[in-house]
Amino acid sequence: MQTLDIQKMENIERSASRKRTFYRWLLFIMLGIFALYYLAPLYVMIITSLKSMEEIRQGNLMTLPGEIIFDSWKTAWSGRDYDAGNVFLRPFFWNSIKMVVPAVAISAFFGALNGYALTKWRFRGDNLVFLLFLFGCFIPYQAILLPMARTLGVLGISNSITGLVVVHSIYGLSFTTLFFRNYYVSIPDEMIKAARIDGAGFFKIFFKVLLPISAPIIVVTVIWQFTNIWNDFLFGSTFSFGEAAPIQVALNNMVLTSTSVKEYNVDMAAAFIAGIPTLLVYVLAGKYFIRGLTAGSVKG
Amino acid sequence: MATLKVSNLTKNFGNTQVLKQINLEVIDGEFIVLLGPSGCGKSTLLNIIAGLETVDDGEILIDEYVVNRVEPKDRNIAMVFQSYALYPAMTVRDNVIFGLKQRKVSKEHIEKSLKHFSQMLQIDQLLDRKPAQLSGGQRQRVAMGRALVREPHIFLFDEPLSNLDAKLRVEMRHEINKLHEQLGTTMIYVTHDQVEAMSLATRIAVMNEGIIQQIGTPQEIYEKPNSVFVADFIGSPAINLIQGTFYKDGTAPSFIPEQQKDNFKISLSGYSFDSEPKDGQEIIFGFRPEHINLPDASLKSQLPVELKPSLIELTGYEKEVSFEFYGNEITGRLPRHVNTELGKSISLSLDLSEISIFDSASTMRI
Repeated sequence: MQTLDIQKMENIERSASRKRTFYRWLLFIMLGIFALYYLAPLYVMIITSLKSMEEIRQGNLMTLPGEIIFDSWKTAWSGRDYDAGNVFLRPFFWNSIKMVVPAVAISAFFGALNGYALTKWRFRGDNLVFLLFLFGCFIPYQAILLPMARTLGVLGISNSITGLVVVHSIYGLSFTTLFFRNYYVSIPDEMIKAARIDGAGFFKIFFKVLLPISAPIIVVTVIWQFTNIWNDFLFGSTFSFGEAAPIQVALNNMVLTSTSVKEYNVDMAAAFIAGIPTLLVYVLAGKYFIRGLTAGSVKG
Repeated sequence: MATLKVSNLTKNFGNTQVLKQINLEVIDGEFIVLLGPSGCGKSTLLNIIAGLETVDDGEILIDEYVVNRVEPKDRNIAMVFQSYALYPAMTVRDNVIFGLKQRKVSKEHIEKSLKHFSQMLQIDQLLDRKPAQLSGGQRQRVAMGRALVREPHIFLFDEPLSNLDAKLRVEMRHEINKLHEQLGTTMIYVTHDQVEAMSLATRIAVMNEGIIQQIGTPQEIYEKPNSVFVADFIGSPAINLIQGTFYKDGTAPSFIPEQQKDNFKISLSGYSFDSEPKDGQEIIFGFRPEHINLPDASLKSQLPVELKPSLIELTGYEKEVSFEFYGNEITGRLPRHVNTELGKSISLSLDLSEISIFDSASTMRI
């Protein structure tokens, strides 16, 4: 009787473990297929950028380059010596850096300050203020183009990097405030009370107590803001032109204004260069990204 | 030196009045415990004393000085919180001296007090660790250290032991007690745990629904609760309360339980009434479980009773036994060696020298 029971249990266990392995494999295969699907364009971009134009014209889209040539990368980055009128990315890349770094820093800093004030220094109507910030997240880009253009004109900073920094800082503030507010809500108020009794003021508490434990949400905010601002085309193309344009606008100009022949290899290299910084940010800070997104639900 | 006076304090959260005309006077060196069920307003009162909440009406005086509009940091207080509220990014050392640094105290003095108090609390080995690397008990010590180094005039404790396990809680309770003896500083302590309240306080203020129901020494509160709420809230197992009527036959007052038979009554001639009720008035008769016991000839006034156990629980040192008593379930605490058997009646006695009588209508002591 007992041996029978044991045998039965063993059978159940064995079939359960078989089932587990089967689903495990199914899962990996599905994940693999999706990964391939998403990575295919990147693959095409990279191999095309490494081919010569002749090879591109005759060859299949997916075949590996016969000979690896880096010339198109050089052309995309710093242009050709002999045709001076051409657009190349280097100066615009630095434009974008000069725009993104201050815009991310400013919007993240004030977002943190807002989130802190909204959660730890409650005031009458604070929820309404927060609601308005939330509303700001849903305002479409297009809706603010005209008023913003006028504002920049009045301030005398239209068609400048400074103007773009202002636009992105203000537009991003709704999101950064939302992020920090949700993070700080989960931090016990008692910590702030303790610091107040200890004699620290509004800013002292912010800088000494709260900011040092905000790393996860800072990473989330920086990735979010960096990606959005770096990849933005609409504000860039609307509020700037010529030398003050950010890289996405320059990329567009470069690809659309090439004179005679379409140079696919150069275009691909340029597109890839324009995407490198966001890729880098993800690779460097990505593991904190997920952690930060879920941090709100876990009590420290 | 450090006195606290709360007069006619009122606090509203929206439409709910959480504190109603609170009056409290604390003299120097007292250990006052604010005790009550959750939501009774005790933590709000403590936060107001600390200056972390605003006052809607009334005054707070520390050392005879109205502090309603004084910032928490200038009130000469320190507070220990339930969640410890340590600063996670700082080491234990920085946590402890943060307050002193804000006050621009000299380096030598900071080092001296840090050394003194970290040794006193046995956290001197932990100074370079972060709070995350500490156990619950160690965090609690650090939180106390942070309060101690400030050498405040008044200590405020907001349920500081609630997050500790049972054994550690008793240990820390002893330490807080010793600390109070050593320092002699005025302390105000919020808890919902009556054992903590009884063992720590010089006086307990029992709160309910925004009102201080009774304030007095632990002994007063336990022996002479001024209302049914206080009587029921203090003591475990809870006090036995029996509904009935007051009856006066000539000069001998007595109590008749609601569901009595055979003209059963309990003589109240040994009870000193604050104001004697009228004949036939509805009253509540209360006695604590330990006053049901084996007959003892040395007691002044006792009532012999025959009771049948309906539930027997051994708690270790003693037995908690439930009996049926004229339609009520009452609990008695008997020595563990007493032979008890379910349904088998035993002869016990009810000690009448320490009973409490309440008016049914007002639920106040009479």
